[in-house]
Amino acid sequence: MLKELIEYMARALVDKPEQVHVSEIEGEQTSVIELRVAKEDLGKVIGKQGRTARAMRTILSAASTKIRKRAVLEIIE
Amino acid sequence: MPTQEFEGKSLEEAIQNACDAFHLPQEQLDIEILSKGSSGIFGIVGARKARIRATPKETPLDAASQRAKEVLAEILKYVDVPTVVEAEVREECVYLNIVSNGSGLLIGKRGKTLNALQYLVNKIVSREMGKNVPIVVDTENYRSKREGSLTELALQLSEKVKKSRRPLTTGPMNAQDRRIIHLALKEDQDVRTKSKGEGTMRRVVIYPVKKSKGHSSSVAEAKTSA
Repeated sequence: MLKELIEYMARALVDKPEQVHVSEIEGEQTSVIELRVAKEDLGKVIGKQGRTARAMRTILSAASTKIRKRAVLEIIE
Repeated sequence: MPTQEFEGKSLEEAIQNACDAFHLPQEQLDIEILSKGSSGIFGIVGARKARIRATPKETPLDAASQRAKEVLAEILKYVDVPTVVEAEVREECVYLNIVSNGSGLLIGKRGKTLNALQYLVNKIVSREMGKNVPIVVDTENYRSKREGSLTELALQLSEKVKKSRRPLTTGPMNAQDRRIIHLALKEDQDVRTKSKGEGTMRRVVIYPVKKSKGHSSSVAEAKTSA
């Protein structure tokens, strides 16, 4: 669920949606969501002063609160 | 919107009927003439009605609102809250309303989650449309409630400023919230407002307006006479 959420948002933001890869490392309470995008698209998922990344993280934490978990979004360079 | 057929004694009348039915001016309709109609001989023999087929043209804003609704609904699908998204075009702006169970989960602290959703939908749709489309995301009338409480805050602060003759600063606010404060005090001649600070730490400062005796009353007179 959380993985698909990030995947959908990231694909809609970038120029090369086919190069969006998301993996989820599930822990007992905390999940780490790793997002990889094409090098040219890195700026698009981060945004000016990290605003886009922050918005995605905010929505991610709302979604994870709902299922009583914690989730961290890592954008991998 | 659907295509419909209309009739009239003349072509003009048929078009008028279509405009009335859709509540749109003629320019916003695609009109296909099926039959021009004729008044027949002396308007008695062989009179045929004019028939047209009319379809409302989709404006760019309609298209944007449709797409924005899809994007928001898709994001919310993964958040696992039962929601319905309503879209409408209001004053050159796409207004999306989320109908939900009212848990406040989608609003977040001081609208943080709602603003994040709004920002992302805006970004995604504007990118696809190739131009900036103003999109507002709302739920449970949060936006208008927030506007009400910020306006009240602005008035309270301005009263304090007028009494103490010292400037006061609000807490850090985003651009939308600051705009509400500025607008609330725009008409007030005794204070003026200015935004200060950088990025997320930007705040509104409310200053008292210095009055020199006699001068201000003449300004006030000039305003009333103008």
